[in-house]
Amino acid sequence: MKISFNWLKEYIDLSGIDIQEVIDKVTLAGLEIEEVIDQSKMFENFVIGHVKEVKKHPNADKLHLCVVSDGVNDLKIVCGAPNVAENQKVVVAKIGAVIPENNFEISKAKIRGEESFGMLCSERELNISANHAGIFVLDNEIEAGTTAAEAIGLNDVIIEVAITPNRQDALSHIGFARDVAAIFNRPVKFPSLDINEIDEESSSLASVEILDPDLCPRYVGKVVKNVVIKESPEWLKTRLKCIGLRPINNVVDVTNFVMHEVGQPLHAFDLDYLSGSKVVVKKAGDDKSFTTLDSKKRELQANDLMICDGQKTVAIAGVMGGENSEVTVNTKNILIESAFFNPSSVRKTAKKLGLQTDASYRFERGTDPEITVWAAKRTAQLIQLTAGGEICKGEIDAYPVKFELKKVELRFERISKILGYDVPNEKVTEILTNLGFEIVSKNNESVTVAIPLRRHDVEREIDLIEELARIYGYEKIPDIERVKVTLEPKFDETAFENQVRETLNGLGFYEIITNSLLSETVSNRFGNSIGVLNPQNMDMSNLRTSLLPGMLTTISRNLKVKENNLQLFEIGKVFNKKNDVIKSFDDFSEDSMILGIITGRSIDTEWYSKDNNFDFYDLKGYVYEFLKSITDKEIEHSYKSESNQLFEYSVKLELDGEELGIIGKLNDELCGGYDIEHPVFAFNFNLEKLSSIPVEEKKFKELLKYPKVFRDLAFVIDNNITHNEVSETIKSGSSKLLHNIKLFDIFQSESLGEGKKSLAFQLEYFDETRTLTEDEVEKDFKNIIKNVEKKFNAKLRG
Amino acid sequence: MEQRIIEIGESFTKELDIVKNSKDLEEIRIKFLGRNGLLSQLFEDFKSLPKEEKPKFGQTLNVLKNDLQNKFDAKFNEVSASEKSEKSFVDFTLPGKKKSKGSKHILIQTLDEIKNIFKGLGFSVATGPELESDYNNFEALNFPADHPARDMQDTFFVNPDFLLRTHTSPVQIRTMQKYAPPIRIIIPGKVYRNEAVSMKSYCLFHQVEGLYVDKDVTFAELKGTLVSFAKQLYGNDIQYRFRASFFPFTEPSAEMDIWWQPAGKEGRWLEILGCGMVDPNVLKNVGIDPEVYSGYAFGMGVERMAMRKYGINDIRNYFDNDKRFLEQF
Repeated sequence: MKISFNWLKEYIDLSGIDIQEVIDKVTLAGLEIEEVIDQSKMFENFVIGHVKEVKKHPNADKLHLCVVSDGVNDLKIVCGAPNVAENQKVVVAKIGAVIPENNFEISKAKIRGEESFGMLCSERELNISANHAGIFVLDNEIEAGTTAAEAIGLNDVIIEVAITPNRQDALSHIGFARDVAAIFNRPVKFPSLDINEIDEESSSLASVEILDPDLCPRYVGKVVKNVVIKESPEWLKTRLKCIGLRPINNVVDVTNFVMHEVGQPLHAFDLDYLSGSKVVVKKAGDDKSFTTLDSKKRELQANDLMICDGQKTVAIAGVMGGENSEVTVNTKNILIESAFFNPSSVRKTAKKLGLQTDASYRFERGTDPEITVWAAKRTAQLIQLTAGGEICKGEIDAYPVKFELKKVELRFERISKILGYDVPNEKVTEILTNLGFEIVSKNNESVTVAIPLRRHDVEREIDLIEELARIYGYEKIPDIERVKVTLEPKFDETAFENQVRETLNGLGFYEIITNSLLSETVSNRFGNSIGVLNPQNMDMSNLRTSLLPGMLTTISRNLKVKENNLQLFEIGKVFNKKNDVIKSFDDFSEDSMILGIITGRSIDTEWYSKDNNFDFYDLKGYVYEFLKSITDKEIEHSYKSESNQLFEYSVKLELDGEELGIIGKLNDELCGGYDIEHPVFAFNFNLEKLSSIPVEEKKFKELLKYPKVFRDLAFVIDNNITHNEVSETIKSGSSKLLHNIKLFDIFQSESLGEGKKSLAFQLEYFDETRTLTEDEVEKDFKNIIKNVEKKFNAKLRG
Repeated sequence: MEQRIIEIGESFTKELDIVKNSKDLEEIRIKFLGRNGLLSQLFEDFKSLPKEEKPKFGQTLNVLKNDLQNKFDAKFNEVSASEKSEKSFVDFTLPGKKKSKGSKHILIQTLDEIKNIFKGLGFSVATGPELESDYNNFEALNFPADHPARDMQDTFFVNPDFLLRTHTSPVQIRTMQKYAPPIRIIIPGKVYRNEAVSMKSYCLFHQVEGLYVDKDVTFAELKGTLVSFAKQLYGNDIQYRFRASFFPFTEPSAEMDIWWQPAGKEGRWLEILGCGMVDPNVLKNVGIDPEVYSGYAFGMGVERMAMRKYGINDIRNYFDNDKRFLEQF
């Protein structure tokens, strides 16, 4: 909302107060000023000039060489306007001036060989009208050298105020003035309503009937006869233009003016088009559509509140009037509507229609039912002032159920209890009174006030405390330096995922965060996805069912910028539907997942390394290292490769028979869909499952006091026999003295024979209670060789 | 004999002089000092000398033997030292072997920073679901249905009763339903706003909210706590102000601004967080008596904080995850 200071000053005396101080203080009190336009600053370097001489430009037919006095100096200015002439008073943009229309800064220029020290401006260039036919010529009485701001009355300060949804009462100049008045302890002045009414009663010319009093508790009508519709006078147009409104005609402009003056939205009907000269306020019912005054046909719902006449619908209540009864140049008699509509009803209708107007914006926030009569009178007064005519006596005031003022008690001790500082009792009553709260009773403990109906946001003691705090000033609350310590049990529900992050960082993985919203097709490919009713676009219409698409998109994007070697992970939620209709938290799952990938090379080609492509064994190494940080228990894997749409091959990791997650190589086709040609190895775990692995308390293990004995051996064996089969056989045929089996070499060569490989193991023997003898190790060792040779038809090498 | 002794001594010295490496040195050793070397031959010949000449030459031979051995040892030490230093040459200018550093996402790092400050002030850390009920996200927090306050937060709805949480405040409700006061928590997490993706806004962002409910909690304590937080995050000499504002779930409500002075630009007040005293309606909704208890709550957006701190201009950088971006933090 825009507020003009020139306009504001009609309702509050701001003498002696700097505008900046007003801006700072209202901002602190909750009316946030987002932008300040100081017109006089906008017109710095613009002065009124006297055109002394006009000659033709020697090198251009349409240009003139002018000499213009700025009151002190004569300036040479090249001007292209057809209407420039000697002895005119014009607006000169001097060097350094910035043209409001296009932010162009004037500098010394040479135009077709002739120097120019400024520019003569059109009205459009000054942003004061659309006129660009020629330069703006002013009254000759104005002296050269006068600032342009002063000469054309552009000395206003306009502010853009962000009004929070609770403060509809501040959505007007008088409303804004009320807060300023309370802050500076000055009164608000209402304009006088001294009007001449004719004897003819408004109620004899029109009638109002409310069929849905819940949705329209009050409807005030007033009639003005014999008006002449024409352009508004300058003062009215200036007011509206200052706050960014386009003047239309005197009657419409007056209704807009009064709305921005006092906050009451108004509508003017052409009374002669109201059949039966009556207004009926009722729900749309069977009416299916209506054409609003912007000539658009609107679809209606049965519960939308409408304004009707004896036969037809004439307006959507609180939203927009109709084409069939709008004020036109031929309008003679006017019915002014000044009503209070149910906020949530207006909001529902406006939302459904996708039509937010200045009126609906105010009605849905709750207007002031008490101001309706005043606003109707004020509108009539200004219509008469600008359009002539006769004001009919009195108002038609349909007010079926009267609102009662709410009374709220404020206990003084609660102020310091909530705010932590005391507001003196006199200050309390002063602030509340200045805000328009009437003191009903008062004693040493408390004060009871009546809340004006415009303050829908104030209904409890705490709301009054807020009013005090914001007007008295938050800055008066002391910066305390001590806070209480409370000793309830402490917890950190992010501790586990942070531990996971740190372990993976230590292993060289970078964390990524991707969008949780994906397209329906993509999301459904990985699960049973949940759609959003109102997505921004179809690429972000469904919640992700997997972290994989985000990861693949990330890999793909990195490959495009030649970042080919990636070690990444993401921790995030995935969402899956369990039932088609979501009525409770049981109908869907929301799981915390961790997905990691490696792709490209572990080390790029460097002076010390050639080819180091990541492979499955890198992945497995990382994953086992990672899992070691979570549990000491042994992780089993299924040893049975699975191939599916996601993985070319993969194995499931288990702990005590419970599946923890999966590791493997992603399907080439899947990756290909993201233009990824390198192999990608991935692990995917459910974070909640990992965090629920019981952590066994660490117990110190006595260090081994006796020497270890190592034995190496290598077998030549069939290619298809796995490392695991051999090591299991070694283990099963060995004594309890064997503690570790390490595969330290694996190779194939022609010399070993077709389909053969060599596996070399190092065996680690020890006993915690004594030194081993050569003989017992040798015996065990021989046993192992025999077993393996026999089982796999293997040969001991060397 | 005497002549040969002198010749061998001289030629040994001469040859030894020009030796440069251990291989040549070894040849000299074999030639002169080896089992069949020239010195051994001399000793062989010495055996066949007449008895009376033996004492004279025996002594000379021993002197020669010691002399050669000493000279050889000295040379051996010299050659091996120089060879060792050649072998152990380190080119300190070669690039080191690369390792992947790994890091948390910068948003998580910023969250950690915020979290650590509040943990130091005695706060616990709570989390909750992102797909929430309308009740937890709005109703319980004093946002009535069909109220314009709902326009403050553009919402993604899954259906009229379920939505993507627009703030982490529903976790306030969940925590107050679960525990009795005192409750002192912060709530970090992802939240969603139905906004077009652009340089300045994204459909999701990370938020940290705080809640403290106990007896005698005041606005002054809220202010003191947040000033302490802001000083720890932005420095002790910050200028700040609290401005009245509106949030349905707090009353009174405020926003905290700090004075932001970018180098070479005009300074301005910058909003860093919203806060206020927990609205009595919210306390009632979770069964806490507002006459006995009071509380404060606050909330801030992590993306914007990190954007300012690191000079990141485009919010989409966070979610593009370009490795060149990730590696910077």
